[in-house]
Amino acid sequence: MYNFDTSVILESIPFLIEGIKITLFISVISSICAFLIGLITVFFRTMGSKPLKFIAVSYVEIIRNTPLLIQLYFIYKSLPAIGLMLPPIGCGILALSLYTGAFISEVLRAGINSVASEQYQASISLGLSKFQTFRLVIFPQAIRIIIPPLGSQFINAIKNSSLVSFISVTDLFYRVYKGAVDDFRFFEFFITGALIYMMLTGTVALLTNIFENQFKIQGRSVKA
Amino acid sequence: MMHWIDIAENYDFLMKGLFITLKLALVSVSGSLLIGIILGVLRYSKIFLISWLAVAYIESVRSIPLILFIVFIHFGALPYLTGESSSFFYSSCVAFIIFTSAYIAEIIRSGLNSVERGHIDAAKSLGLNRMQRLSYIILPLAVSRMTPALVSQFISLIKDTSLASTIGLIELTRSGEIIYERTYHETEILIFIAFIYFVICFGLSKLSAIWETKPYMCTEHREPIGANQ
Repeated sequence: MYNFDTSVILESIPFLIEGIKITLFISVISSICAFLIGLITVFFRTMGSKPLKFIAVSYVEIIRNTPLLIQLYFIYKSLPAIGLMLPPIGCGILALSLYTGAFISEVLRAGINSVASEQYQASISLGLSKFQTFRLVIFPQAIRIIIPPLGSQFINAIKNSSLVSFISVTDLFYRVYKGAVDDFRFFEFFITGALIYMMLTGTVALLTNIFENQFKIQGRSVKA
Repeated sequence: MMHWIDIAENYDFLMKGLFITLKLALVSVSGSLLIGIILGVLRYSKIFLISWLAVAYIESVRSIPLILFIVFIHFGALPYLTGESSSFFYSSCVAFIIFTSAYIAEIIRSGLNSVERGHIDAAKSLGLNRMQRLSYIILPLAVSRMTPALVSQFISLIKDTSLASTIGLIELTRSGEIIYERTYHETEILIFIAFIYFVICFGLSKLSAIWETKPYMCTEHREPIGANQ
């Protein structure tokens, strides 16, 4: 039987908490940026002119069809070549925002498509501008449908943020791995790390549920 | 000044990496389909403990980053269980199967749920028994509706195989790294590798988009995206 030594974990709690802070910092900032990127992209895609549409579609498809690790390496190693020097944590946030943004824009697009096109025509005929239609008519209806998938994108952002440890950011995964290697205590550290990640993602799942109930309109079921 | 010649010079090496990537993806997807189906069925088990265990497995795997599995299985679990260090390919396969099977189990559940009550009732009233209902009505409908989600899971898996490079498996990403660690021309190699991943994944997603236009997908009865979470 494996002899499970909790003392190594207890000793390294402050070390791990520092990592949780970095992981949370990266995922929160990049989730916010990703949401904004997703909004802009989907606005271009549904209501922009042809070239804007093309840019938005190519951005989404390129990001969605290449691995995040390659994007991270590219931003970390190739941007300095064109004179853009970012600290590793900045590279991580940039890559994660772009990656999650593409997925969020797809989620938003599905939500917008679920709003009947008559609503769009009606608001245009009432004299609202394209932007006003988007902001006042379509978005409030779409947001109710997209909350659950949006929540799962934020969860993915937390999980994906573990990859920034490969561009030398000392986030939670980096610290779990370092602790495991230093003491040769893989089981203790990895189980602790898994539990911490489960707690973080579980919190987001809980918040998603709360928001979903908050936005629910009485007597109106949310169906696409 | 770009150095595209690096790619031509190391073309065979990169293609060997691509072969490993595809092999890893195919072996893992077959394994995780098998386990995913078993999990998806166990989830509906009458015995509470079994269905609870299946749900616990699916939910906990889905909330932990994949990289944690890969590193833990390669450096921690497999060496402990077998007493010797395991090969890179073997441990990445195990990690991908454990990770992806949880997602596939969810896809199978939502596919089975997508079959309308009316179809099942109609089959019952026609006198089909439980087995016939499953094999003639529910499975054909569910499988064809699951296909797009399964394909997109396979695409994610192909992208995720790049994580196996972090434990040292020389697949596409790692072979690229080996080249640019020597030549220092990261940009060209990374663009080329990204292009290969893009061609495979984008091609697959377009194929599945063609599948989605089939008439029996009858999308109007399906639940909205994510409503089932």
